[in-house]
Amino acid sequence: MTPSAQWPPIAPGRRRFDPLGLASRVAAATLAMSAAALLGLLAWRLWDFGLGAAPQALGGGWRAIGGAAAGTAWLVALTGVLALPAGIGTAIYLEEYARPKTRAASALQAALANLCGVPSVVYGVAGLTFLVHGLSLDRTLLTGALVLAALALPPVVASSTEAIRAVPGGLRTAAVGLGATRWQVVRHHVLPAAAPCIATAAGAALTRAAGAAAPLLVVGAASMATFAPPSPAAPLISLPTQAFGWAARPQSEFAARAAGAGLALLAVLLGIHLATVLLRRRLAQGPVASARSLPGARAPAGATPGDANANSPRDARDSFPGP
Amino acid sequence: MNGGSLATNAGRPGARADRVAGRIFLACTLLTAGAAATLLGVMAVGTGQFFSEVSPWRFFTGASWAPFAEDPRFGVAPLVAATGQVAGGAVVVAAPLGVLSAVYLQYYAAPRAQRAATAAVALLASVPTVVFGYVAVSAVAPALRAILPGAGAFGGAAATIVVGLAITPTVAFLAREALAAVPPALLQAGTALGASRGQVVARVAAPAAARGLVAALLLATARAAGETMIVAMASDSHAELPWSPMEGARTLTAFLVQASLGDARPGSLDAQAVLAVATLLFAVTCAVHAAGRALLPRRRPAPAGPSHAPVQAAVRKDPAPTRRGRNS
Repeated sequence: MTPSAQWPPIAPGRRRFDPLGLASRVAAATLAMSAAALLGLLAWRLWDFGLGAAPQALGGGWRAIGGAAAGTAWLVALTGVLALPAGIGTAIYLEEYARPKTRAASALQAALANLCGVPSVVYGVAGLTFLVHGLSLDRTLLTGALVLAALALPPVVASSTEAIRAVPGGLRTAAVGLGATRWQVVRHHVLPAAAPCIATAAGAALTRAAGAAAPLLVVGAASMATFAPPSPAAPLISLPTQAFGWAARPQSEFAARAAGAGLALLAVLLGIHLATVLLRRRLAQGPVASARSLPGARAPAGATPGDANANSPRDARDSFPGP
Repeated sequence: MNGGSLATNAGRPGARADRVAGRIFLACTLLTAGAAATLLGVMAVGTGQFFSEVSPWRFFTGASWAPFAEDPRFGVAPLVAATGQVAGGAVVVAAPLGVLSAVYLQYYAAPRAQRAATAAVALLASVPTVVFGYVAVSAVAPALRAILPGAGAFGGAAATIVVGLAITPTVAFLAREALAAVPPALLQAGTALGASRGQVVARVAAPAAARGLVAALLLATARAAGETMIVAMASDSHAELPWSPMEGARTLTAFLVQASLGDARPGSLDAQAVLAVATLLFAVTCAVHAAGRALLPRRRPAPAGPSHAPVQAAVRKDPAPTRRGRNS
C-alpha cells in the first residue's frame, strides 16, 4: 500500500522549500545507509582478515561456525516444537473455548501481553535459577531451548490471538448455525483464515529465538563450538553466543571470526524469513483463507461452497446482493 | 471471544473430538500459564530472599554497587543511572531518526523509494543485537575514540549510539502505524485549506498522531532499557574479570551478563542480588511497556506494513462502506 494509493490529496504546495520533507528524506537515507554500512562492515571484516589477507586465519573458524550453526539449528527446531503448538493452542483456547470475560482468562492475556516487553536477559536469569540451579539440569541445548521457548511463548500467544480475533465473527456464527462443533469451527474455518498471520508470528518468534544471545549466555553457553552437536543433550552452543565469545577477544583474527558468525547468523535469519514468506503465501492461497478472510475479494474458481467441508457455508457477506 | 457465547452443538457427531480438542487446548493454556507463573515465582522468591538479607532502603538508595567485593555493597543506583543514561541517550538518537523516517515513508516516498526504505527498516529490525554489539565494539567505539581522545575506555557513548540505531526500526514502524491511523479526512481538509504537504504533516498529522508517537517512543524506551548484548559488549569490561569493581557504564543488563559469566554460587547472596536486579529490570521495562501499550492507537484503520496486511484486510468488517454510501 502506497501513500498515493491511500490519498493523493496532499498537494506539493506553492512553497518551494519544505524543511520537513528534507529532514525526513535525510533521516530515511541515514537509516538506509546504516543498514548498508552494517552489512558492508561485516563483509569487509570477513574479507580483510579472513579471506583476503590471511586465508589461514579463518581455517579453524569455519568448523566452529559450522558447529555453532548446527547448535542454532537445534535451538530453533526445539524452540519451535516446544513453543509454537503450546502458544497457538493457548491462543485458540483463550479466544474460542474459554468463556468470555472470565477473570482468569483475561488476566492471563494481560500478563502475557506485558511479558512481551520483558527483556530476554531476564528470562535467562530465571532459567538459570530455576532450570540449572533449581532442577540441576545440565547446560545443554535442550535447557537453552526451554528458556527460548519461554521467551517465545508470550509473543506467539499475543500475535496468534490477534490473528484469530481478526477472523470475521460471521464465519463462526454461520458454521455453528449449521451444526459445527467448536473444534470443527476452529479446524475448518478459524485456523485456515488465520493461518497466514499465525505463520508470520511463528516466523518472527523463531527469528527472535535464533538471534537471542543474552539468555543463552546467562544460562551458560559453552565458549567454543568445536563440533556439530549430535543431539539436544550436547553442550549449549549457538551462533550468537559464539560471535559474542569471539568479539570479546582482542586478536584480530577473532574479529574476523565474529564477523563470519554474524554473517552466518544473518543468513540463518534470512532463511527463516524466506521460509515464512513462502509458507504464508501458500497458506493465503488456500480456499478458506483467500475466499473468506478477505472481504470484498472475489472467491477463486476452485473455492466452491462445499470445498473445504461439506457443512461449511460461505461467508454470509459474500452472498449478499451487491449494492 | 465468541467461543463461549455460541451454542456448542453438544450432541453432534463431532462432540467427542470437540471435547478432546478442548482438553488439549486447555493443557496448552495451563502450560503457558505455568511457564509465566514459574518465571514470576522464581523472580519473586529470589528477590524476597535478597530483601530479607539486605534492606530495600539500602538497595534503592545506596550509591555503590559491588556485590562480589569482600565487603559487598548493594546500592543499585549506579546501575539504574547507567541504564537511564543509555536508554535516554538511545531514544534521543532514535526519536528524530525513526519518526522522520516514518514521515518519509508515509507521506513523501515515491512507491519505489518507499519499498527500498521499508526493506532497509526491516533489515535493521531483523539484525540480532549481538551483531549490533559487534559493530559497536569494532567500528563505532574506535571511531569515537579517534574523534574524541578523551572518551578513552568508556564505551558508554558507543553503546548509546548503537542502541539508538537498534531501536530506530521499532520507532519507525510504530510511528508509521500511528501516522497511518490519522483519518485521511483531516489531511484532506488541511490540503483544501491551502496548506502545503509539510504544513499538513506538521500541524495536522503530527498532533492527531501524538498519542501513537508517544507510545512508539515509550515502547522503544522499554526495549532500550532491556538491551543487553550491545551494552555488555561495548562497555569494555569483559576483558577483565567479571567481578572487577569497574563501575563505568554498567547497566542493569550488563551486570546480569557479567554476573552470570562469573558464575555466582547458587543460593548465595550474589545470586539473590542478580535476581533482585533482574526483578527491578523486569518491573521497570514492564511498566514502561504497559504505558506505551495503553497509548497505542486501535488497529482498526489499516496501517501499512507487510506483516499486518492480511489481518488488516480481514479486520475491515464492512467490505465497502464508502462505495455503498456513494451509490445508494
